Amino acid sequence: MVRIVTDSSSDIPADVARELQISVVPMYVRFGTQVYRDGVELGTDEFYQKLIASQTVPTTSSPKMKDFSEAYDRLAEETDEILSIHLSSTFSSAYEIAVRASGRVKKECHIEVIDSKTAAMGVGLLAIAAAKQAQKGQRMQQIVKMVKEAAPKARVYVCFETLEYLRRGGRIGKAEALLGSPIKVHPIIGLEDGEIKPVGRERSRSRALERLCSLAGEAANVSSLAIEQGAAPNEAERLRSKLAALFPGKDIYFSAVGSAVAVHTGPRVVGVCLLGR
Amino acid sequence: MQEPRGEERSGTAEYSGQDLRDMFAAATSWLEKSVPDINALNVFPVPDGDCGTNMLLTMRSTLEEAYRAPDNDAGAVAQAMARGALMGARGNSGVILSQIFRGLAQGLEGHDTFSGKDFAAAFTKGSTVAYKALTRPVEGTILTVARDASTAARDASSTDDDLVPILEATVVAARESVAKTPTLLPTLKQAGVVDAGGQGLYVLFEGALLHLKGDTDIMEVRRPQVVQSVVPLVAKFPQLMTEKEEPFGYCTEFVLQGHKKLNLDRIKRSLTNEGQCLIVVGDENLVHIHIHTFDPGKVLRHATSLGILHEIKIQNMDDQHKEYTEMVKAQAPPPEIATVAVVSGDGLGQVFRSLGVSAIVPGGQTMNPSTRDMLQAVEAVPQDKVIILTNNKNVVPAARQVKGLTSKKVRVVPTETVPQGVAALLAFNYDTDLKTNAAMMEDAVSAVRTIEVTRAVRPAVIGNVKIRRRQAIGFVDGELKAVGEKPAQVLLEVLRGLGTDNSEIVTVYYGKTTKRAEAEKVVEDIRQKHPNLEVELVYGGQPHYDYIASVE
Repeated sequence: MVRIVTDSSSDIPADVARELQISVVPMYVRFGTQVYRDGVELGTDEFYQKLIASQTVPTTSSPKMKDFSEAYDRLAEETDEILSIHLSSTFSSAYEIAVRASGRVKKECHIEVIDSKTAAMGVGLLAIAAAKQAQKGQRMQQIVKMVKEAAPKARVYVCFETLEYLRRGGRIGKAEALLGSPIKVHPIIGLEDGEIKPVGRERSRSRALERLCSLAGEAANVSSLAIEQGAAPNEAERLRSKLAALFPGKDIYFSAVGSAVAVHTGPRVVGVCLLGR
Repeated sequence: MQEPRGEERSGTAEYSGQDLRDMFAAATSWLEKSVPDINALNVFPVPDGDCGTNMLLTMRSTLEEAYRAPDNDAGAVAQAMARGALMGARGNSGVILSQIFRGLAQGLEGHDTFSGKDFAAAFTKGSTVAYKALTRPVEGTILTVARDASTAARDASSTDDDLVPILEATVVAARESVAKTPTLLPTLKQAGVVDAGGQGLYVLFEGALLHLKGDTDIMEVRRPQVVQSVVPLVAKFPQLMTEKEEPFGYCTEFVLQGHKKLNLDRIKRSLTNEGQCLIVVGDENLVHIHIHTFDPGKVLRHATSLGILHEIKIQNMDDQHKEYTEMVKAQAPPPEIATVAVVSGDGLGQVFRSLGVSAIVPGGQTMNPSTRDMLQAVEAVPQDKVIILTNNKNVVPAARQVKGLTSKKVRVVPTETVPQGVAALLAFNYDTDLKTNAAMMEDAVSAVRTIEVTRAVRPAVIGNVKIRRRQAIGFVDGELKAVGEKPAQVLLEVLRGLGTDNSEIVTVYYGKTTKRAEAEKVVEDIRQKHPNLEVELVYGGQPHYDYIASVE
């Protein structure tokens, strides 16, 4: 069976990863001298507590070559085909490092590494879709084809409390146009094809949730979707009930931003991730 | 690339001369990857697009010398680096960098090895020396970044003695400092960039840190990122697109080796009227001189009377600037849609600017801008498609005239009040075309109601309401709703009659002559009477209107 690997920035809920046998290689989050493995040593809630308590600004770094190598070598004992799907190379070196590590696997094993050009549950949904096909017995070639077709159509829309964290991490891109305002606004940014772009601003949180819904509603042929939140569980719940009405009968994954993603989003974020057909 | 070797001695890591060299060697190769980005940022003091190149060449010379010093003597390596930096310094940022190394060498003098604390102290010294080297230090440049970063290094060293966390704090502070440079230096803000030299220094420290942490994977596959400004830099390089430009002269640089002992102050004094950006640094034997002058011959003649010249570089900055302009134009973003808004009041102007408006035409109530005023703004923005927000009913006819007078595609969104203008601007969609955008912006106007409170300029009877001169009068979307003695009371009364059950947010913009305390009081009253509403108070600075409020 083809085995799926991703990094922890995909924010796949732990139970889903377990069930679908997706291997998640942790990113690193650093607070001053303390380094944590995302999701293993630092969860979402602890991260936000630390963010409040800490004097230093946290930073992230991608998994190291040996982290990927270990994951690949371990899986190569069980399979001869591995598909590794990662956070867009525009945000992180995880993809490039994974490519290098894939060339050094000890046992004979075919490893494909894909630059998803998306982030968070955008990647998560791709990995989930790939793992489901793998469990059905699909071969590597078909799964790779499916992921490569789906990736450019993945959409992520997030309502932020502040874009300050995104700016600090240097990942704000064109959404820079939404920075800073004397009146309170809730910026909404989108992620398409590896690029962060401004979508708009709303004056109120409830209107921002409406906007997220209409953005999701406008997307064509949605095959799967997920809601992500960071320190905004109630709003995520409201979004879920709205989206459930919009996409009846569809499974909606519910995920919390991991600490690596939260470093760049800051608190009180809620978003929707979609895969199209 | 080698792993750092910092050795554990009595609990804290000590670093050798070789470690120091390796650290900056790694930093230099990290910088090298960023040179084109840094060149593209370069607008101060002269937009000549060579800052990154200059810093790289300075670092190369620095390292060349460093390899001549013994591995086991950190002080000697630092000394050699300072000398190499001085000899090879190029451009403003290069010379300032050389002064940072000079201070670093002073701080590490006599140290065979050094700890994180030693480094923090030496770097602080470096920042101080760099400041002293300039006759007129300018904030928002590499100097500011060096100071902020060294302050952070010193603070971190009070709780930690290890170089890694200290350098981590240095890098974070450097990045934040670079992000703030446009708030300190107007040239940067106008050009829509962060400071190039500051960015270069940040990249150097980041490279050193990545090396120390052993993140060689990252150093191989990534490249440094340009720091994002804390202020939105919407207008990118507008001033470079204009035709009228002042000549810059020649950037003249050389190293002077004195016949006898050199007096830096005296050299400074004799050259200070010869040009701009004069920097004279070094010691009594060897001095690096940098100046932007219209007569390099005169400067060189004076210097040759004092000693022998080395490393002479003279560049025509006008030529450099032309190349730079071409480079920037090639990088310029694709044409999009510009928005022009008619706004009066500094606070409201700030609101519109922060929401991304491309140009503001001053005016509004009782001082309507002319068609020509608006036409000028439309012509001034670099985009070919322009949306005009009138923000006043009386401005609409003049705005519509603009269409026929320009070759640009213009749409007028006839907003009648400031809150309508804000709502329209918020509806701006970055992704869609001019027509759709204008339609969406017009639609957005219906979601907001506007309250305006002003004073009657003369007595009047409207309907069956009698108004005395100077009485406060309140309007909702242009319709008179309340009359009273105090503007604050009128605002409250209008709100009461409005029916706010389906509303969420009230934004109160208070006027130029309105007292902040009074405005705060009225906002407090609104909160008490309407607990379901989120109320926000913003300085609008508009004339004539005590309050303009949006209810949405």
